[in-house]
Amino acid sequence: DSHVQYERVGADVTMKCGSMDWDAAVTWTANGTDIDESHLNGSYLILKNVGLSQSGQYFCYEGSSWHLKYQTNLRVGTPPKEPVLMCRSNNYPKGFYCSWHLPTPTYIPNFFNISVIHGTKDMVCEKDSPPKNRCHIKYLQLFSTVKYKVTLTVTNALGKNFTTLTFDEFAIVKPDPPESVVAKPVPNNPRRLEVSWQNPSSWPDPESFPLKFFLRYRPLILDQWQHVELSDGTSHTITDAYAGKEYIIQVAAKDSDIGTWSDWSVAVHATPWTEEPKHLTTEAQITETTSVSTSSFMAPPTTKICDKGAVVGS
Amino acid sequence: GSLGDPQNLKCVTHNLQKMVCTWDVSSRGRRGQTDFCYTTNDLTPQVCFTTKERRVEIPIPESSITVTIKSSGTATKEFVIHQKDISFVPITPHILSLMPDFPTSTLNLKWSDNGSVFPYGLDAFWQIQILRKEPMEVVTQVTYYSKLTHEDVILSWNWTSDMPLECTSHYVKIRCYINATQFVGSKDWSDWSPAEVIPGKDTEPGESGVFPLDPVVAVGSDLTFCCVHEEDQRITNMIYGSKSYTMMQLSSRSHAIRVLNANVSNSSGTNVVCRLENAWEGSVVFVGYAPDTPQNLSCETPNFLIIKCTWKPGRPSGLYGERRTKYSLFERTSGRNVSCEVSELSKDHVCDFPVLPAQKTYDFILGVSNPIGQAKSSLLVDITQRVHPKTPEKLTVTENNSTSIQLRWFINGSFAEIRLLCQIEISSSHSERKLQNVSTPGRKSSTYTTQVNELHPHTKYQFRVRCSAADHFWRWSDWSRGVEQTTSEA
Amino acid sequence: MAAADSPSTALRRRDLCSRGIRLAGKMRADVVDLLDAYVEQQGLDASASVAAVEGVPLAAVERWDEQTGTQRLLENLAAYRAFRALLAQMLEEQREQLGEADAGLGRALAAVLLQVSAFAYHLEELLRLESRGIPGEEEDGPPPPPRLSRFEQKLRGLGVLRELAHWAVRSVRDLRQLAKPSPASGAAPGLAESP
Repeated sequence: DSHVQYERVGADVTMKCGSMDWDAAVTWTANGTDIDESHLNGSYLILKNVGLSQSGQYFCYEGSSWHLKYQTNLRVGTPPKEPVLMCRSNNYPKGFYCSWHLPTPTYIPNFFNISVIHGTKDMVCEKDSPPKNRCHIKYLQLFSTVKYKVTLTVTNALGKNFTTLTFDEFAIVKPDPPESVVAKPVPNNPRRLEVSWQNPSSWPDPESFPLKFFLRYRPLILDQWQHVELSDGTSHTITDAYAGKEYIIQVAAKDSDIGTWSDWSVAVHATPWTEEPKHLTTEAQITETTSVSTSSFMAPPTTKICDKGAVVGS
Repeated sequence: GSLGDPQNLKCVTHNLQKMVCTWDVSSRGRRGQTDFCYTTNDLTPQVCFTTKERRVEIPIPESSITVTIKSSGTATKEFVIHQKDISFVPITPHILSLMPDFPTSTLNLKWSDNGSVFPYGLDAFWQIQILRKEPMEVVTQVTYYSKLTHEDVILSWNWTSDMPLECTSHYVKIRCYINATQFVGSKDWSDWSPAEVIPGKDTEPGESGVFPLDPVVAVGSDLTFCCVHEEDQRITNMIYGSKSYTMMQLSSRSHAIRVLNANVSNSSGTNVVCRLENAWEGSVVFVGYAPDTPQNLSCETPNFLIIKCTWKPGRPSGLYGERRTKYSLFERTSGRNVSCEVSELSKDHVCDFPVLPAQKTYDFILGVSNPIGQAKSSLLVDITQRVHPKTPEKLTVTENNSTSIQLRWFINGSFAEIRLLCQIEISSSHSERKLQNVSTPGRKSSTYTTQVNELHPHTKYQFRVRCSAADHFWRWSDWSRGVEQTTSEA
Repeated sequence: MAAADSPSTALRRRDLCSRGIRLAGKMRADVVDLLDAYVEQQGLDASASVAAVEGVPLAAVERWDEQTGTQRLLENLAAYRAFRALLAQMLEEQREQLGEADAGLGRALAAVLLQVSAFAYHLEELLRLESRGIPGEEEDGPPPPPRLSRFEQKLRGLGVLRELAHWAVRSVRDLRQLAKPSPASGAAPGLAESP
């Protein structure tokens, strides 16, 4: 008979060669390789303190006739640790999603079950197709003070674990970063930069649920950011830029009334307009020096800003 | 003896007058008619009767009796019973009432001592057991002593539980032992009475909550709080203030925590929260101090219309709102009582009492109380010796010449019963400040005038006035506002 | 369908709505501060989940986006009238329970009560603007507060302030909806039809 056998890392495993007697002559192979006699106790295979590398197909043959008497697929792994669960609404007020992962791999298949309870109501969590560990919940009610309780249970052959999150509707509202951030010099203005951006496309109804924005900028030569908060509109003119210095600019967004700040947008670079030196050709070239930095996305440091208690998402 | 013979004859008395004798029959003895005869040894005639029971009640002998028992089909068996062979087991006491007082977590037990049955003067000992929890545990056992008076006396005993009676059912049992010194037989405790029960809230369907509810207790108290919940409700934890405490299970629907040496709580009280699977239950305990005895109680009158008493409150009680420390002023002679509008947070602790017609001496008791305790201070005062006039008002110069001026001022209050002593302060840039005293009969809300002489011509002077009682000085009033005047030229 | 707005009515409504949005926004900020102070002063656990408190208008609403403008105003008005009574009850309890021990919280509570009253009046103005009848207040005033234990009073207060904080957000959203120009005429929609 053949089947899958799950064992914990570090366990001691004993395999019997099917119906063969203890003293029968047998041969054991692992992934096609004969196993040394030292691992045998009579016809039993003894594996001490198994490790991940000992996962594989194990066969046992009768000594003389080479009949296959036993076959198993040994899977060495670990029980699941408490899963990491995060819920967030980036498309308020449509709904929110929850995503999860295991802090450490288990090396064997895991099965996730999520329950979302709002007061006494069980809510449906539409799962994304694997392997995405994520599901989506539609808001049936808005402005509710009743907390949501999300319980994620993970099970595998070696154990089970769970984690629970309880949160308020408003607390998990966190938009995606603003999109299409553009920064341009302003001709004849050596200290100005014009920045514009768009609402994150995932935000469904900016008119009824307007976003406010938080702009930060600094010349590359300095480490200290300058900040400005903007209650409406999706553009801003920086008027105190150092002439001729290249600037890095990012924008974050937040619902005007609730929730937390988004992560920082992708950084853009721009240098204010500079006057062409006189001896050069008459044609003054004004080059839009806008380039989108593809620097690796840097999660914004948590920055305390004037809106009491509001912290840019990190 | 042969088969079916009566054996093991035992006699027990419950009242030192009669005794119940019982016997059994050796194996396979058939239950039929039995002839029971007894005779005491002072040659009184034998008394016999027939019984189907193996039990008879007969008088206690002075010394001993001879008993013959003959069952049908067996030989007569004879027994000699001496008084020392008889055991005295009092009747099981009967609990008359068990009353709970939930606010004080006190049980009151009443029972009859059944003394009429016994001779006068016997010592009786009552063992009382209090039990709790599932399964029942003895919480305490006490021995109560009384003397029998040959009358049925109702005895009463109180016990205060260390936890609210609502927390779980409390059971009480009692038994007694009577020290019948004259009785030579063996003496033993009675049986325990059936347990009387005060059901806890954990026996009432649908009941839940934390107990005690909103108690007020003294700092340093050891407290027990319990959480009564539904059977199927899992209890997560119990929190006192901000700390989670280890729980004791009292029953399937009641858990408790024990808080030792409770600290003073903040103004809104200390929360005791019971977190159940999907609910919260709670109570608030107000931990404070009993009021200190008021110190430096002092009373005076500013105007013979009211008497102002002041005092130092001592340590704040830590109790507020409806639980705050309250003050009242009681005057023994008139029997009048005034409640004072003052709280611990008030800067000044003052209470006003009306001056009563034709009463000079006041025997005050300042009573202070809060839910934890009370205290008082007393003061006997003659208000004519405690005059502290209000600040003189409207000081004006009415006449003026080169060397003297006339001053006039007003004092609010009715001082007709005393003489007033007023002091004029005279200061000018040229000379030292001088004080001039003037005594005048007091009047009711009146103005007073005086003449200030020996002034220098054409000199600017500043004048102020203050007053007090002339005969029994107590305290000066505050200085009046100053007035400035220049004497005319010579 | 309400008659198309006159420009002055539309302008007046937009003005009232934007002033209302600012008033609700300020109220929300003050209620959140009051809630923090209340939780601390009452020794409560901020994460305490409070069951729906009897007599407290729930901000939660289903199919919020389908409500008409009149529904929005009437539901808002009913809610803030209820909160006016609830906050007055809380203020009375505060005085009864604490006396002068915590005057700070009492003042903050009174300040929010003032704002709630002002906002209720503002809503009535909006309804008057739309010549909508102003629903009468309950003659005999709010029902007397239930006899509660001290802890229940604390939780009830927490429930009231939480609902009020959520109502303030809802009101801002409602007023934004009302202030929206209706797609056709470009003027703000008549109350009946605002989505």
